[in-house]
Order: sequence, then structure tokens, then C-alpha cells
Amino acid sequence: MSLEDLTPGAGARIATLDLPDVDAAMLRAIGLAEGERVCVLRRAPFGGPLHVRVGEASFALARGLASSVTVELDGPADGLV
Amino acid sequence: MRAAAFIGRPNSGKSSLFNALTGADAHIGNFPGITVDVLEAKATLPSSGEAIVLYDLPGLYSLDPRLEVGSDERVARDFIEERARAGDRLVIVQVIDANQLALGLRLTRDLQKNEAELPVLVVVTQTDVLAKDGKEIDTDALTAALGCPFVATHARASDCREIVLGAIARAHTMTGPSSASSASSTSSTSEQEAWEPDALAASALRVRAPAPGETPHRTSRERTERVDRVLLHPVFGLPIFVLIMAGLFATVFLIADPATDLADAAMRALGQLLRRVLGEGLFASLVVDGVLGGVGTVLAFLPQILLLIALMDVLEATGYLARAAFLVDRLFRAFGLGGKSFVPLLTGHACAVPAISATRIIRDPRERLTTILVIPLMTCSARLPVYTLVVATFFGGSAFTRAAVTTGLYFGGIASGLVAALAIRRTVVRGKGLPLLLEMPAYRAPVLRSLFRRCWLEATDFLRRAGTIILASAVALWILLNIPVRGASAPDEPLIERSAAAAMGRALEPVTRPLGFDWRINVGLIGSFGARELMVGTMGVIFGVEGADKEPAPLVEKIRAARRPDGSPSYDRPAAVALLVFFVIACQCMSTLAAIRRETKGWKMPAFVLAYSYVVAWVLAAGAHRIAAIWW
Repeated sequence: MSLEDLTPGAGARIATLDLPDVDAAMLRAIGLAEGERVCVLRRAPFGGPLHVRVGEASFALARGLASSVTVELDGPADGLV
Repeated sequence: MRAAAFIGRPNSGKSSLFNALTGADAHIGNFPGITVDVLEAKATLPSSGEAIVLYDLPGLYSLDPRLEVGSDERVARDFIEERARAGDRLVIVQVIDANQLALGLRLTRDLQKNEAELPVLVVVTQTDVLAKDGKEIDTDALTAALGCPFVATHARASDCREIVLGAIARAHTMTGPSSASSASSTSSTSEQEAWEPDALAASALRVRAPAPGETPHRTSRERTERVDRVLLHPVFGLPIFVLIMAGLFATVFLIADPATDLADAAMRALGQLLRRVLGEGLFASLVVDGVLGGVGTVLAFLPQILLLIALMDVLEATGYLARAAFLVDRLFRAFGLGGKSFVPLLTGHACAVPAISATRIIRDPRERLTTILVIPLMTCSARLPVYTLVVATFFGGSAFTRAAVTTGLYFGGIASGLVAALAIRRTVVRGKGLPLLLEMPAYRAPVLRSLFRRCWLEATDFLRRAGTIILASAVALWILLNIPVRGASAPDEPLIERSAAAAMGRALEPVTRPLGFDWRINVGLIGSFGARELMVGTMGVIFGVEGADKEPAPLVEKIRAARRPDGSPSYDRPAAVALLVFFVIACQCMSTLAAIRRETKGWKMPAFVLAYSYVVAWVLAAGAHRIAAIWW
């Protein structure tokens, strides 16, 4: 499944980044690399970006990017408030 | 010369540390990418007393050479390579936010492989925030594993200067990252490859066990996520955003309106005093009508401008602006912009010049250019004096009416900006935009000290302008108002009607007649071509010279009382509406055009902005004049 389809609150691990080299490198640089645990915190209204958390940081990530990130479900997200 | 370059992930606290070490005034925000230029300051090494140059670089996530799109990354990388080539004794100081240790250490691994073989020093900062989360860093474990010098501190610590500068001095004795370890170069290379950022971060973070009976700490991340649950609520998030923005501008109006009145009254009292002291001569007129009328009238708006800057600074320091970018991204996409355009556009409400620099946070070149081209439409603080004067003169009465008209003008600026963006993206700057990718920083309380420093810088900048450009143009105008050009032909007319300034204004009358302007407003328009607030100063000088023989009255009343030769009022509401519309659209600001030239590297874009904004301003103002004339 893709990161875009991940239910808020569910934990997952990034499997692949199906993106052009430059975009994939950017995602890896900020921390969204293969093998990392991610979760979706929320989605912006009206089809806006996703709010995702990876490690100690969180990002606003366009759905177009999230749909190209394949993830595997991996239990519930850590430490949700 | 010894030098050290501060690099690190965006928003990791580089600039706070830089300011703490050098006493410099690097602008600090809580939004990734605030530092867009390389800042430079000097410091003295505590050990040897030797001078050292410190550079604060824009934040970067990686040194990956494939990341050509991120201009911040390129600025930082080019800078390091250039300094290394120039033969500077440069130490790379990597600043890591202690709360994002694992992410920071990934960059450390990249840096240790830097081609220039520069020594690397790791400074972990914001340990005070980490301590509040009940955690601390095992410095020894990290130093041993990293194979490069490492210190931990925070920018508000009293020994921060000594710790960091001392470590920089020690790092200067090294020649490159590989010599950091005392072992032979082969074994040190394998040692550096051995550590893995996530595992090392996990092992180096020690959680302080809560004392018996103590409730476990809520961490900084948990607090931030709690606040986000409210501010980014799926239903209430957007209404809260609108309320915050409306509150911002309403506060400026409600608090600043009386403050401006007070400052204006003080200027009038000073004028009366000066007139009593100086008498009635030409010199008295120059001082009172020229200098005080021009400079004083503009100065009265300082409180309003400072308040706006302070409130926007607070909003930025909290970290809310990244949330706002998240919320409005979808809406802005519809107009060919993106969430990251939001921050420069909001900054544009204070001043377009820093806003145009701030567009460097936008990764997408098309989106960035479009944002630059529409920033001049945002209601900058230089428009406020004009709006306040015109609204008070023609829409006086209740504060509510004035507030409503002013709010309408703000929305007019935003709406025209969005429409212009859409038009530009359909014509001049076509093509698909890059998707949003933006780090959401943890919420922080604004630091009063840096807020005051920011306001102080703004105030001195404003006063400097008032003392130079505005003063010079006020004096020039006073002279032009006192030189008769049609001396003999109409001796019964007052001097001012025969003056050089009046002749200049009259020359423009055929163009501005559809807008309902007379020569006085035209002179103001000529003056405000360089800077908008000169409009108000110009009006102050003209009506000061004209009404010098009458009782001193507020400028508002003088404008209301102005009469044409046939006895009808010189200015009516339709002309006022046209003037406001003109000021919403026209790019009357030399500094803005210069900033656009700097960022787009050419005169084409500033010329385009000047042309489109003046043509559209004239057309819309003429249309507004026609429609308003039906009404009133």
C-alpha cells in the first residue's frame, strides 16, 4: 500500500520510494528513507497535503509524493497523543 | 584567517547559536529556511584571543550532489567549496537539534565524507528543551563513536560561548575529518563507517528516570502534537486560521489607530511651538511645513508599523506559520502557488523587500517566480499610512466603518494577488508545480529579547529612511511649492497655484482625470513613485504650505476643507475610492523593484511588475471611480 492510503494512527515501515532520483534523494535526506517507521498524523482538508511523522520530525507532504511511497503496515504508531 | 561555518538541518538552531556567539542580529524564526543568505560575523577565541570569522549558512538536509533543486543546499555547498579553494582555515560546525539527534547524525555522516577534507565539529544544541523532556545526551559515547570533536550546549547557557568557541579553536588544530582519530587513517575510516545514525542516537540518549511520585514528563513532541490536534483540526483548523489572521490585522488597527492619532497630535503641537519660536518667515515655513509636515506626518505611523511587525514575528516564532502553509496549500494550488508561498506573502504584509528574499524557501522555480511577482500586491506597512489617512478623511465616523474599510483593503490586496498569480501561471510562467514538502517545527514560545531586537531594528531602519529619503523629498517638494513658474501671467492667484510643483501635477491631470485626482494628488503620486509613504508626507507639505495662514488643524480636516475655485469640495468619496484602489495595485516602491531585480537577476521582471501593476491600477481605479460615482 502507499503512504497516501495509510490510516492516521497506523504505524508502517517505508518499503520503496517509486520517485525520480532527485525527489527520492530529497525524501531520504529529510528522513523518509527505506526501512524508516512512519505514521500519518492527519490529512489537510479538501485533498491537501498529509502530515506525516518520521522519527522525531514531522512533515507536510503533498499527496502526489505520498502516493509514490510504498509502505508495509507495522503495528500501531508509537506514542500518539 | 581562521573561520568556522555553521551548517545543519533547517530550523536546527544555527542562527540562535550564531547570535549567542557573536552578538549578531541574525533573524531567528521557527520555520525551516529562515536563513537564506550566508551571514558573517566576527568573534574572539577565548583561549588565544585570536579573531575568527563565523558564517551562518542556510539550513540543509543533505550534501547529496543530486539535490540540485534545493537552492539552500547549493548555497551552503558552494560556499564551503569556495572557502576551501580560497585556502581559508575553515572548520565545519554542524549544529544538531538535540531533539532530532538521529536525523542530525545522518548529515554528520555525509559531512565526514566531505571532499574538501575540512575538519568537522558537532555541536548539539537545544539541550535545554531535551532536559525538559527528561532526557540527556551521553557525550562520551558520542565522542568515542563519531571520531570527531563533539560538544553539547544550548544558546541560552551562560557558558555557551566558551564551550563552542573553545571547541572550534581545538578543531582548528586538526587538518581533516580523517585525522580526527589518533589511530592510523585506514582504521579511522573503517571506524567512521561503523557507526549507524539511528542506533548511535538511541544509545547516546539517556532517559532520566522520573523520581518516585513524579508524573512522567510530557515530551516536546507530545506537546506539539497536542496543540496540532486543535490548530490543525479537520473541521476547525481552517476557521481558526482565518480567525488568527483576522485577529492579527484587527489588533493592528484597533491599537494603532489611537496611537497614530496621539503621535499626530504631538507633531501638530510641535509645529505650533516651532512657529511661535521661529516666527512667520520663509525659514519657519521650511521647517514647519516642509520638514515637520513631510517627515512628521510619516513618523506618526511608526507605532502602527512596529505593532504589525511584532505580531507577525510572534506568529512566526511560535512555529504556526508552517501549519498555516499546510492548511492553505490546497487553496493556493488552485491559484498556481503552493503552501510555501504563504510565508513570503504574509511577510509581504510588513514589507515586500524581505518577503521577496524569503521566497527562497520555495523549491519550485515557477512557484517562486510567481510569488515574487505578486508579493508587491500584498498590503505592506508603507500603504498603511495612506490607507489610514484616506479612510479617516473620507470614511470617518465610527471606528467600525474605518476598520471594515481597512480590512476590505487587506482582502483586496490578497484577492488581487491570488488572481494575478492565476493569470501569471496561465500566461507568463506556465508549467506544473513541484509538490509540497515542508518540515513542521515543534512549537516554541517566542523569545522576548529577539522580538524587541527585531522591533528596534525596524524602528531604526524606519527612522533612518525618514531622516534621509523622506526628509530630502519633503524639502525638495517645499522648494518646488515655493518657486513660481507663471509669475507674471496670473498675479492674483496664490503662489502655490503658480508653483513648479503645481505645474508638474497639472501636467499629469489628463491621465488622472478619470480617477478624479487633482494636481495635489498627482504630486503625491509622483512623490510616492519611489516609496508609498511619501504620499502622506507630500500631502502634509502641500496642505501645510497652503494652509500656513490658517489655524493649525489635523491634515484630515484640511483635506476635507479643500475647495475647488467654484467652491465645491476638491475631493469626494469616488476620488478617495479610486486612490485607494490605485494604492492597492500599483507597485510604487523602488526598493521592491530592486529586490525583484536582485532575485530574478535582470531588469525584465521588475519592468514587467512596474508595467502590469500601473496599467491594472489605473484601469481598476478608473472603473472604481465610475462605479463609486453612481453610489455617492
